[in-house]
Amino acid sequence: MTVTTDRLRGTTPVRAAQAARPGPPRRRSLTRRRSAIAGLVFLLPTFVVFGYFAWWPIIQSAALAFQQTDLVTAPEWVGWNNFEVLFSDPLLPRAAVNTLWFTVLSLAIGLPVPLVCAVLISELRRGGTVARVLAYLPVVIPPVVSVLLWKVFFNPGESGVVNSLLGLVGIDPLPWLQSPGTAMPSLVIVATWSGAGTAILIYLAALTGVSTELYEAAELDGASVWQRIVHITLPQMRGVILVLLLLQIIGAIQVFTEPYVMTDGGPANATVTILLMIYRYAFLFGNYGVATALSLLLAVVLIIVSAVYLRLTRSWSTR
Amino acid sequence: MQQRTRRVIAAAVVVPALAVMAGCSGGNGAGDADSGDGKVTITVMGKPAATNTAAVELFERQVAEFEAANPNITIEASDVPWDAKTFATRLAGGSAPTLLRVPLTEPPALIERGQVADIASVASKLDSFTDLNPRVMQFLEQGDAVYGIPEKSYAFGLVYNRDLFTQAGLDPDSPPQTWDEVRTAAKKISDATGKTGFGEISTNNSGGWHLTGYDYTYGGKMIDQAADGTWTAAFNDDASREVLQMWKEMRWTDDSLGDNVLGKQEDLVAEFTAGNVGMWVTAPPDVYPNYIAAGGKPEAFGAGPMPQGGANATLAGATVLMVNATATEAEKEAAVKWIDWRALRPNYDLAVAAETAKASAADGLPVGVPVAPIFTAEAYAAYRDAIAEYVNVPVENFAPYTASLDKLEYVPEPAVASQEIYAALDPVVQSVLTDENADIDALLNDAEQRVDQILAQHK
Repeated sequence: MTVTTDRLRGTTPVRAAQAARPGPPRRRSLTRRRSAIAGLVFLLPTFVVFGYFAWWPIIQSAALAFQQTDLVTAPEWVGWNNFEVLFSDPLLPRAAVNTLWFTVLSLAIGLPVPLVCAVLISELRRGGTVARVLAYLPVVIPPVVSVLLWKVFFNPGESGVVNSLLGLVGIDPLPWLQSPGTAMPSLVIVATWSGAGTAILIYLAALTGVSTELYEAAELDGASVWQRIVHITLPQMRGVILVLLLLQIIGAIQVFTEPYVMTDGGPANATVTILLMIYRYAFLFGNYGVATALSLLLAVVLIIVSAVYLRLTRSWSTR
Repeated sequence: MQQRTRRVIAAAVVVPALAVMAGCSGGNGAGDADSGDGKVTITVMGKPAATNTAAVELFERQVAEFEAANPNITIEASDVPWDAKTFATRLAGGSAPTLLRVPLTEPPALIERGQVADIASVASKLDSFTDLNPRVMQFLEQGDAVYGIPEKSYAFGLVYNRDLFTQAGLDPDSPPQTWDEVRTAAKKISDATGKTGFGEISTNNSGGWHLTGYDYTYGGKMIDQAADGTWTAAFNDDASREVLQMWKEMRWTDDSLGDNVLGKQEDLVAEFTAGNVGMWVTAPPDVYPNYIAAGGKPEAFGAGPMPQGGANATLAGATVLMVNATATEAEKEAAVKWIDWRALRPNYDLAVAAETAKASAADGLPVGVPVAPIFTAEAYAAYRDAIAEYVNVPVENFAPYTASLDKLEYVPEPAVASQEIYAALDPVVQSVLTDENADIDALLNDAEQRVDQILAQHK
């Protein structure tokens, strides 16, 4: 963040000088208009591609939330009916709470674990590359494959992989996915395991940007390791941490693969998430209107969450 | 002023761009297969997978012969299996196959959503149409409308591992007939062998599907239709309570259901093939080819009657060939001709039956799996005679199952919202199987409320 502000500060006087340079006003506005047209012409292909493949479908799907369609006959406008159906579904609050629970759990585990790993790896005197590769390896495995592998690891009973490891240290076998209480934490473990690698790499990159002079100065002043982390490392990385945190929140709220492949929302709805509900409404029940209505709601919630988050953290991230 | 100019220019660029897009997306690909000269091209599902070379060869020969006999029809075959997730969007985009091959559970929802065509006008012209088994056709006919032709039909039964039966001191030739006998046998198997006595599944709607099937054997039903056409849930009764109570006792008192109850059908097929499961409920003829393909021992496979709770009934359905709703009359006619050529003829034309069986046997595919027949009993008997010399399945192991087919009443799946009802029932089954203190009455009350809500949208 400091780098960005410095760069901005550096360019501002130049721009100001350009603006202050005297010249005939007519010609200036003419060249400006010309360059504006040229710019827009260059933008046109992007507009068309984005418009056709992103914005237009978004508009259409927003409309779908107020329609009923079987995708065969012409869609019928039904007003707020899809939202009424949605809000009368007792699973919706359950799914919202589950999604929130998953988000909280995955932040509680998913935020500190990669950060600690990154700090530890950056402190390694040798073997740093190997550690980085090992940390990133889970990301390379296709999600469905890793999730299915974990499903095998989580086999309940004493013969399961995880349970037999726990047995070595005298812990009784856990039911993991087979019990409403332990199913969600099990999914969070899988999600963290498969997602931490990317975060570790980004944190490592950010760590290399922290000036060593700061550490040297702190060391001379007699700061302990802990003090150096708290007063130098974390503040220097706050921009990266905040962005990754936001990405993690958005990603966690959109969790789908793990519950879909491992539990199908079970046992007893303990792992039904919002995205799983959207999937079921659309592809299991063929009710595209309600599915789109829920997607729209989710998008709105995500926009609000992001806006509130950015507002709350603005002072800290740009300090 | 500058700002205004910029806005005008931006609008001048963006608006036509959006207009172009709007123009692009207005088209509809349906119904362009008919050309003026009476020629018609249909796309069909059901081509065997490319790895199954012998079956593909047979299929392609059938296509060539069919096209020679019907020069105005061209067949474009696909080996992509049925996928409910993509079907509706393909239908909307005009790329759905003309002829659909869908499994057991799909027809009610497809009919209800109007995604498949009524083929009564062309199907009734087939010679063999009147010979189709009415017990199967009841699932595909609504009033005068006909929505599909069965390729094969199925009824729930008990699949069991004959080796584990022997090890537990049970007689592999007389599988349990009632749920009480199932419970006793399951406990014996798990006590004697340490394996899962009775396998159960409860995710991806299989919990609701099984609860429905078991419920029928106690004389229960899932939904009821009032005189004014509205539907209500009908499963909050003693029949369902009996089933759930039995599960509860087998899971928590007998410990004969194993630890892993959160699976779907494929998971249980794998466990059963590996010899880890004593018994479970499914459609035995449907599961047998998968069991063999996964390396299961033919002689260890046993098929018994659907265990009963007093009603002498079993859940039944079929693999069905249907025509997509956007097909033209000519496409419908061509599709039905092809259905007759490929799916029906090998069941009533004995020469074709023998040839098909010979090719399948040569490829090592199971031949002669006893099924619930799609034609009359006489036609089925003649068919069995015609293929007798190629049969490579231990038919006697299916005897208890086949003997039960004539005695049990076939009950179809719920006529509306079947998948949504199953989805609402999965958590009920999962609760009983994963929570020792699950309150069965409360679970059924909740599920009843939920299903009534769902049914209120279906009239």
